[in-house]
Amino acid sequence: MKYKILKAIDVSGLTFLAPIVRLATGEEPDVQIRAIMQMIVVPIVAFAVFVGLWSQLAPRHKTKSGEVPTPAVVWDAAQGIWTFHAREGDKETAYVLAGEQRESALMAAKDRLAEIDPLTELADRQVADAEQEKSAQVAELTAPLRTKLAVVSERYGADQAARKARWMERADRTAVSDTDARLALLGAWNEHDLRTREEREELKNLRAEIDTVGAQAFPALSAAQKAQTAIAEERQFLRKRIEVLTAYNRNEKARAGEQQLADLRSKYLQADGGAAMAGLAANIARTRTRVESIRESNYARPYTLPMQILRSLLCVFVGFLLGSLIAIPIGILCGLSPTFMAAMMPFIALFKPVSPIVWLPIALIVVGGFIPDPDDHWLINGFAGLPLVGWMKINPAFLASAITVALCSMWATMVNTALGVASIDDDHTNVARMLRLSARERLFRIVLPSALPLIFAGLRISLSVGWMVLIAAELLSSSEGIGKYVWDMFNNGASDSFAKMFVVVFVVGSIGLALDRIMIVFQRLVSFDGAPTAI
Amino acid sequence: MTPEDRTPDDKFVEISGLTKAYPNPYGDDVVVVSDFNLTIKRGEIVSLIGHSGCGKSTVLTMVAGLNATSGGGIVVDGREVAGPGPDRAVVFQAPCLLPWMTAFGNVLLGVRNVYPHADVEERRDMVEYCLEAVGLADAMHKRPCELSGGMQQRVGVARAIALKPKLLLLDEPFGRLDSLTRMQLQDVVLRTLDEHAITTMIVTHDVDEAVFMCDRVCMMTTGPNARVGRLLDIPFQRPRRRDEVIESPEYFELRAQLLEFLAAQEHATVASRADADDPQQCAAA
Repeated sequence: MKYKILKAIDVSGLTFLAPIVRLATGEEPDVQIRAIMQMIVVPIVAFAVFVGLWSQLAPRHKTKSGEVPTPAVVWDAAQGIWTFHAREGDKETAYVLAGEQRESALMAAKDRLAEIDPLTELADRQVADAEQEKSAQVAELTAPLRTKLAVVSERYGADQAARKARWMERADRTAVSDTDARLALLGAWNEHDLRTREEREELKNLRAEIDTVGAQAFPALSAAQKAQTAIAEERQFLRKRIEVLTAYNRNEKARAGEQQLADLRSKYLQADGGAAMAGLAANIARTRTRVESIRESNYARPYTLPMQILRSLLCVFVGFLLGSLIAIPIGILCGLSPTFMAAMMPFIALFKPVSPIVWLPIALIVVGGFIPDPDDHWLINGFAGLPLVGWMKINPAFLASAITVALCSMWATMVNTALGVASIDDDHTNVARMLRLSARERLFRIVLPSALPLIFAGLRISLSVGWMVLIAAELLSSSEGIGKYVWDMFNNGASDSFAKMFVVVFVVGSIGLALDRIMIVFQRLVSFDGAPTAI
Repeated sequence: MTPEDRTPDDKFVEISGLTKAYPNPYGDDVVVVSDFNLTIKRGEIVSLIGHSGCGKSTVLTMVAGLNATSGGGIVVDGREVAGPGPDRAVVFQAPCLLPWMTAFGNVLLGVRNVYPHADVEERRDMVEYCLEAVGLADAMHKRPCELSGGMQQRVGVARAIALKPKLLLLDEPFGRLDSLTRMQLQDVVLRTLDEHAITTMIVTHDVDEAVFMCDRVCMMTTGPNARVGRLLDIPFQRPRRRDEVIESPEYFELRAQLLEFLAAQEHATVASRADADDPQQCAAA
């Protein structure tokens, strides 16, 4: 049992768990504790130190997009993303609910709304109180400054007026022919001007000082505002949900339509004359089509981050698959035939360093050429008909992103495959020659198995490159996915956009890590000799 | 095969004027083996013995067809050797098993090609029989990395025997094993060879192995230009038993002759090397 677990841990590459298992079974406790300290405690401490530094340093740096978010703000943003996702899901189900289920959901929503209504008032009052308290405190703090400002500004006004009056008086007395005196006066004017500007600067600084005090963070107020916003958002959501459960509900709309249809039919039966009948008949036909389309309709759900993550995963998978299907056969041919390798070398050398930013527009144009009408194309329709991924609305932008991923990520697999096939052990070649294996057998029984570990090492690199490239490709192609989410956040300028981008950093990082670990497991499974794998 | 075109038993394998030279970019070709002549009878076990690097493995790989000849010819059962093939199975010094296949799979790989018309059942029986013959009945479905060095080499032997070769070539097959395992494996191989009467060529540098296992020992001179130095018949009856062979007085006699030849070769080498080195040392000084 113990050894089975340890074996599984070893294969999965989660070696840091091994000391825990060993400790649990009482094997050399001090060795295990030292290993745990090194492999688990130290990384956790390092991360904690990082979070601590981050929360200390973040508020010091202010940008025009607002403060750099602290870990707490980022965590709030993550929760906000999830709440939004869950609420959209609620609306989606509410749209199709019927009968008793709809009634009870409606009841629940109304109850909750009644529950939070008084809370709204409370929250509003708390915000008002906090605001008042803040302005009182600010007024108190700034009182001496404001007094000083008033005094100084009055004195400077008087000074300036006096200086100007003195100058005018001197100017009046200067004769036209007295050039020297006039030039001296010009100098005096400049001096006056300079003084005036200095005084203005001083006043400005004083005002800025007062503003800074006023703009100081006021925890009580921001907490009250946060609570107020949360309640307001929930209220808005509940109102919308009630709407979706009543007037906007698919079945309710259909029922209204049926009602209308019945009315029209009775009118039609009573109608007099061909013209009136024709008009009503047309109306009936139109209404019937509308009702039918309502019955099949779904809630027009906006993409939320969790959905975009799934779509990005599908996109990277499609691109990775496409790249591998091209790279592995070419790699095998390159490894088998030095001539073919020589023929491919210029392409590999030339295309490998090309950036995804270049491939993407080309891919977009090419895909656009093949799919002139995205609404009616066998490939798009085929994707839409697939079970788990049909809702993702595969479009040309998605395909172009996937192709970009393939074009950028396939080189590692190609080169590694060629290397693996070319560097086959002489002993194994001799065996193949002695047994006089056919070309096919030689390929499938000797060459490919011995190259598999290197092929998988290449695939692992390809997948991590692909994941990096994908985000950029989605950002540019506006294919719904993580990249587009980041771009939307960058452009929309909401107060929590900056924090949401930080959330994306962690999401992208964790998914990349997970993909890499999965590939390590595969790599280990095909490594016949327990080939060492990097972390 | 009709009796008329059957190769005469005493000339089952004929090696005549065999030469191997490697090109040397800075001078004359390096001639490793030159004018090597040897005839092997059907069912005979012959060993090639000589100092390391004398070219005995080169001869064997040329007979196997894995190494091109530079001159001379090799005829096995009336057919000139032109390349490697399963009729001349090789047991390599390293086991050379495919690590992604089980012992069974490794043996089956060859069987599949040699008996294309046998059905799955027959092939399986054949593989199992060969693995049992080398004492691996319990380890058939293990991968090479789970087997010890001796067991891996047994799989190598089973793979070679399963091909039903006309000529079995053993290239220092026990060189990498400890002495206990080596003795065990020598017994296993000898038993199997006796059972199937396979014509065999063993490359070795172990005098005891040569005397115990072979009908004839071919002593090679030390290279370059290695060739057959002396042939020695081993008169023991087969099947042999180790204790009987070792206790017989002839055993020591034969062993002594072999050792004497090898020692003489070594002196000759040292002398020739001293000659060759001298001018260089002068030049350096």
